[in-house]
Amino acid sequence: MLERFLDPKILASISGLDLVAKTVVDGFIAGLHRSPDFGFSQEFAEYRAYSPGDDLRHVDWNVFARTERCYLKRYRGETNSQLTLMLDASASMGYSSHGITKLDYARFLAASLSHLAGQQRDAAGLIVFDDEIRQYVRPSTRQGQLSRLLHAINEAEPRARTDFAKPFLHFQQFLRRRGIVAVISDLLERPETIIKAVEPLRYRGNELILFHVLDPEEISPGLGEPAVLVDMETGRRLEVSPEYARTEYRRRVEAYLRELRERALAAGVDYFLLPTDRPLDAALREYLTVRQGRM
Amino acid sequence: MGFLSPWFLAGLAAAAIPVYFHLLRRQQANPRPFSSLMFFERSTQSSIRHRRLRYLALLAARLALLVLLTLAFAGPYLLRPVASSDERRLLLIVIDRSFSMRAADRIERARQAALSILSARPPAALAQVAALDAQLSLLTEPTADAAELAAAVRSIEAVDERSSFGELARAVRALADSSGAVIDLNLVSDMQQSSMPPGFSDLTLGPKVRLRLHPVAEGPEPNFAVESVAAPGAIFDPAKVRVQVTVSGLHSPAARRSVSLVAGGKVLETRLVEVPENGRATVEFQSLAVPYGFTRCEVRLDPGDRLRADDRFLFAVERADPRPVLFVHEARDRRSLLYFRSALESAETPAFRLQPVTADQCESVDPTRFAVIVLADVETLPAAFEQKLNRHVRDGGAVLIAGGPATARRGRVPVLEEKVLESRYAARAGERFQTAVTADPAHPSLRLAAGWEAVKFFQVVPIDPGAGRVVGRLAAGTPLLIDRPLGEGRVIYFASTFDNIANDFPLHPSFVPFVEQTVSSLGRLERRTASLTVGSFVELRSGAEQGQAVEVIGPEQVRALSLEEAARAQSFQFTREGFYELRRASNRNEMVAVNADRRESDLAPIPRETLALWENTAEGNPEAVAEAGAVQRPWRLWWYLMLLAAAAAVVESLLAVKYLSVEREVA
Repeated sequence: MLERFLDPKILASISGLDLVAKTVVDGFIAGLHRSPDFGFSQEFAEYRAYSPGDDLRHVDWNVFARTERCYLKRYRGETNSQLTLMLDASASMGYSSHGITKLDYARFLAASLSHLAGQQRDAAGLIVFDDEIRQYVRPSTRQGQLSRLLHAINEAEPRARTDFAKPFLHFQQFLRRRGIVAVISDLLERPETIIKAVEPLRYRGNELILFHVLDPEEISPGLGEPAVLVDMETGRRLEVSPEYARTEYRRRVEAYLRELRERALAAGVDYFLLPTDRPLDAALREYLTVRQGRM
Repeated sequence: MGFLSPWFLAGLAAAAIPVYFHLLRRQQANPRPFSSLMFFERSTQSSIRHRRLRYLALLAARLALLVLLTLAFAGPYLLRPVASSDERRLLLIVIDRSFSMRAADRIERARQAALSILSARPPAALAQVAALDAQLSLLTEPTADAAELAAAVRSIEAVDERSSFGELARAVRALADSSGAVIDLNLVSDMQQSSMPPGFSDLTLGPKVRLRLHPVAEGPEPNFAVESVAAPGAIFDPAKVRVQVTVSGLHSPAARRSVSLVAGGKVLETRLVEVPENGRATVEFQSLAVPYGFTRCEVRLDPGDRLRADDRFLFAVERADPRPVLFVHEARDRRSLLYFRSALESAETPAFRLQPVTADQCESVDPTRFAVIVLADVETLPAAFEQKLNRHVRDGGAVLIAGGPATARRGRVPVLEEKVLESRYAARAGERFQTAVTADPAHPSLRLAAGWEAVKFFQVVPIDPGAGRVVGRLAAGTPLLIDRPLGEGRVIYFASTFDNIANDFPLHPSFVPFVEQTVSSLGRLERRTASLTVGSFVELRSGAEQGQAVEVIGPEQVRALSLEEAARAQSFQFTREGFYELRRASNRNEMVAVNADRRESDLAPIPRETLALWENTAEGNPEAVAEAGAVQRPWRLWWYLMLLAAAAAVVESLLAVKYLSVEREVA
């Protein structure tokens, strides 16, 4: 079967993040033959006999009707899981080499995850950060939460520098329940620093996912001639030769990605690289498939 | 070191192009934003420097290519001394072939003298032959070929132009400067006094010229010549023609000569004249009976002398009928007719015949039959005549209108249809009279009318000049004489009368030339001269006659102009004696007689002292001669520069392929 994935440029042409998110989620769910039990937290695990004090909302009334016994439906992992999205809105996220910025891609990803969590009735929240926390939407399952999330995601604009330490410290104060924390960022920092900043979240029992959004040009720049490059966060200028970009730079980036992946694995953190020219639905499906296989 | 074409050095500015592309443009490249420079390091600079160095090598190759090409085109040379100075000497033989060389066997003696000079030169020595008249004509290139030089000498014949030693000196100076050689100038001439320039300094030949003079005439030779003939170019009444001949005896004793007037090959009259010693005599012929059209005439002097060519003088005359002039006047106005007729008939050449008619009788008159129509202060004109007259003027006719009391009563000037501004009487304004001033002294009407300012004007009838040219004004500024084109024709308006009432103009001597010149101008009668001098020019076409063919038939009855010259030539120079037939662009045919300049008839030679002085001052500056002897020959370097440029092109190609192919791979 020929599968058509959604080009990020096509997503960028869709007005309204809600529609984008729905399109993406519907797309990759359709690709997975629509499994209602598929998601971050609603993977069905087992039935458990009712005991006084259990929440009656989790009683499987169909089973009760057939057997006249009360069983509670148990899910893998946390039931009523809390998804917290951490969206990097630093200036470097504004980089684009082919029409769609990294922040655009990150927005689509965040909106899609919010939409997915909403479908599964999971509490979803959002933190937009650069070197400070710019926006915070408390995780909730209330009516209209998805709209709030999408509104906050939509308002994220690239500015300032990335500083993982400060926002993650603050974030630990907000985090009251264990849950899933998805960091969407270009992670342009030393792998050691990144992992050191996010690792404490893991210690608290949270599941941590690093969505690494990079522009293809950042992975493999195609300079035709020596050029003066300006750092979008620091304003620093450097003249770069095509030979360097073709050899040394690629070697360094590959080493950086390899180190980041290894350190993330070592710290029990999920790491997933998302080049912005990759169809988002395909990437999400791949990730969730891999994730399901691990669980 | 020098450059043959230094202007090409301006091409060095092209070197700025690769400099711009390699350095300036690269530095002005817009910076590109990038997300993070954390993977770039300062060490990248060394790579760029290395690349820049390689680009600089490419830049240097390109600059070298451009500079070498530019220098090659500029023609650089180095001066290198030449071992032998023999080839830097040039024997220049100049033979005078002016009109005076026609005397006796002077030209043959000159040729023999030149051949003697040639035979005396070293066999390998370079020589050049030139002929001198009004200009210096080089007949050969510098050569050692004795046969070619001798043939050039033998081909020289005397011409009708006069010689100029000043022109000789100028041309030899230029030749010495351009060739850089030491010139041994040998001038073979009759050394005529009249060939000398006004100042001796004009004979300066320059430091590299040594002069040797070879006179072919001994002492002043007596010569009789027809110096001039005064005859009209156009004849309207043969009985009134006077042909005045001046015969001059130059360095000659008193003698009797017969002077014959010849027209169309037929001797009309012969007279004897006593020419005083070294003096002039004048002969006047009282008539010149020639047929209608152009006639070739000449005055002949007998017996002839050693220079027979100046014993005759050519002139051409054209006989034609006087042209009719229609004089329209009021019946009561007889005075205007009297004065105007008298003035016209007393002209030197009665080219016009006046036909008077009163204004009330001119209804049936056809104005197209008249060269000029004069309206002498008329009040009324028959409508039919006025209509014909208006059409005639617009088709190219000419009218002279005099304005007076009758015109003032009419209120409008006929033909011009201009309203009379006023009828101004000097006496009424408390002025006794008004005087005229000349606004355009070059206008034919006033060119010869000396004393025009003394005329007293008592009444004028001015009009608005409009598009016309105001030729004369009253002292108060009122337009008095207006020349105005109308259609293809022309109208001259005189704001007063010819009747000696409104002014006293007819009583002044200036009235006759005024009337004659005005009518001649309106009737397009051009004053022709009976003869011209060799070397003079004639205009073949005016500015408005471009693109129309002209023709000149020379004395040998052959066309003197090529087809291209016939289509484009503006003027023609007469270089030989004889009769020339001209057909101008306006389709007018004309015959011109051309005679040699009579200054050539004076065969008196330059005094020996003067010749010796010229020869001594033209011995050549020893230093300059020595410098020329050890002259440095230019060693041209463009060939080597082109080789270097080719090498630079190869290097540039190799570097470009090497460096730029990397960029293509990256892209």
